[in-house]
Amino acid sequence: MDAQNAIEVKNVSKSFKVYLDKGRTLKELALFSSRRKYENRQVLKNISFNVKKGEAVALVGHNGCGKSTTLKLLTKIMYPDQGTIEMQGRVSSLIELGAGFHPDMSGRENIYINASIFGLTKKEIDARVDDIIEFSELREFIDNPVRTYSSGMYMRLAFAVAINVNADILLIDEILAVGDANFQAKCFERMQELKASGITIVLVTHDGNTVKSFCNRAIWINEGEIASEGNAADVVDRYMAHMDAKRIEEINAAAASAQPSVEIEEEDVDSLSMDPDAIHFGNQKAQIVKCTLINSEGNAVNALRSDEKYYLRFEYKVNKQIDELVFGMGIFTLDGVWVFGTNSAIAGETIRVTGKRGTVIFESEPLNLMSGKYILQCSIIEPNTTPVDYYNEYMRFNVVNIHHEAGIIHYDSKWHIGEEQS
Amino acid sequence: MKIIKEIYAYREMVYSLVHRDLKGRYKGSVLGFAWTFLNPLLQLAVYTLVFSIIMRNGIKDYYLFLFVALVPWIFFSSCMAAGAGCIRQQGDMIKKIYFPREVIPLSFVTSQFVNMLLSLIVVFAVVVFSGKPMNPVALLYLPLIMIIEYLIALGLTMLISGITVYMRDIEYLMNIIMMAWQFGTPVMYGLDQIPERFMFLFNLNPMTPVIVAYRDILYYGQVPEMNTLITAVVFGIVTLIAGVLVFGRLKLHFAEEL
Repeated sequence: MDAQNAIEVKNVSKSFKVYLDKGRTLKELALFSSRRKYENRQVLKNISFNVKKGEAVALVGHNGCGKSTTLKLLTKIMYPDQGTIEMQGRVSSLIELGAGFHPDMSGRENIYINASIFGLTKKEIDARVDDIIEFSELREFIDNPVRTYSSGMYMRLAFAVAINVNADILLIDEILAVGDANFQAKCFERMQELKASGITIVLVTHDGNTVKSFCNRAIWINEGEIASEGNAADVVDRYMAHMDAKRIEEINAAAASAQPSVEIEEEDVDSLSMDPDAIHFGNQKAQIVKCTLINSEGNAVNALRSDEKYYLRFEYKVNKQIDELVFGMGIFTLDGVWVFGTNSAIAGETIRVTGKRGTVIFESEPLNLMSGKYILQCSIIEPNTTPVDYYNEYMRFNVVNIHHEAGIIHYDSKWHIGEEQS
Repeated sequence: MKIIKEIYAYREMVYSLVHRDLKGRYKGSVLGFAWTFLNPLLQLAVYTLVFSIIMRNGIKDYYLFLFVALVPWIFFSSCMAAGAGCIRQQGDMIKKIYFPREVIPLSFVTSQFVNMLLSLIVVFAVVVFSGKPMNPVALLYLPLIMIIEYLIALGLTMLISGITVYMRDIEYLMNIIMMAWQFGTPVMYGLDQIPERFMFLFNLNPMTPVIVAYRDILYYGQVPEMNTLITAVVFGIVTLIAGVLVFGRLKLHFAEEL
């Protein structure tokens, strides 16, 4: 093993038997052992990576990709089927907080139990117990039974123990979401201190921002293989882009299968909506038969990338004599904030009614909205603003923003870093 | 060797788990820790009542004859019956934290053992109270026989608790096995009451020499026979080695099976 490395993982594979019918009883083992069906699901396929001493490395990947399994192999909770894992130094894992806590015992007693499970001796715990209590901010309650603690206090105590266990290698499984914002900040600070003190850290998380701000390097595991490895920010961006693409695909696939046909029966005016609960009103001189959201590739979709052009295709029919129609659309957030709205009259178009049926297409530049669900409003009104067929909520659709900023809308923006002007 | 070193490093965990178990066991009850002594005392009272008044038999001070064997037997039998599930019950911890898995059966058996030690105080009190003479030389053998019993119990608990992870039925089966085993061990009667043709059964039973030795020391006030002691030592070492070896194989897949 290279002296510079804290962890060396070589050609590790791991599979689980997933029993379709989990028989664990003697009878089943004895009588039906050949009949018991299981799938051998390979969770890790021949992965290899090294972690250098003092490095902070993140394992990222979607649920079930194998990153937690990797962490469990590193902690020796499980053992690989093939390959080797070598580690140098004392390993401590922050996978489970508050292990062994007994509700009837005092906070102080539980510190001893919990820390001992991490492999500390009495002497070592004695030396740390004050730091732990200090860190947990529970000094006045420390001799009360743990069952009297709030869940926040409980987690604070548990985290305080875990973070004060001195180790050369620290393995962490997304547990930073502990306690209030202040305590989280404190935990994060403490992790920074640990990192600065030269401890090797392996972190499993979904939170790209934590990875970018905390880790030197990231390893993206996808379907049991290392998809990408390197500079934390680059890997996270690649991972996020992949996830976004996947999400749009999934949402659209789900939408396609969930909406067999939105073409309405001509007579059945009451059921003419994509959303069965959608309410429409108006004088019904004309009706929206169907309004379709279309992405930049020309497909009918239920989810859009925030940086792509999109179209709304209105199909309408005319019930009574009317000369001119105004088509409108609007976008709302789920909590009712009107993000955008326009209509054909505002745009200066005049839509004359010529036949019994017709189509109008609205074309738009990219939405530039943050990721989330939005409400689409669509309407037909008369030029004098009398509603003809008006849907306040025609359908809900998803937006995926690849930029991961905060707020409601996206601007293209950059930062310029320069010398201070004197 | 490596595992012994590792368990030594985790000695505080063993201590904590034992401490938690003993202290946590009677938490919330009015009498609290006193139950540790009250339990054997009340049991003794029942046995005395039943065997000196209702079901008389020829053995002198039968309640004592029974009790000095019953206390070590209860230790052994609860290790087997309750200990079978000890790994499974700590499943959450095993799935999420690394520690030498041996710690769990070790602390379970140790906690039961400490309980027996406390019960033995009651036994001593009763022996003294009954006016039976104590043999100080014989008493010197008591720690030895206790250690041997501890080793047998530890080896078998490791074996059974490990297998139970893969075959849950063992846990339920253990109760009935222990009941049968009790009758196959000279707890309620002496070896002299056993028909010759069943003797081999008792000779195969690792608990026979242990119980016989306890009774020699505490009831008869005599040094156990060399033969008994040697058999007990051999049984103790063999079961422990078997237990450690098998457990060492079984533990590799605990996290997946639980």
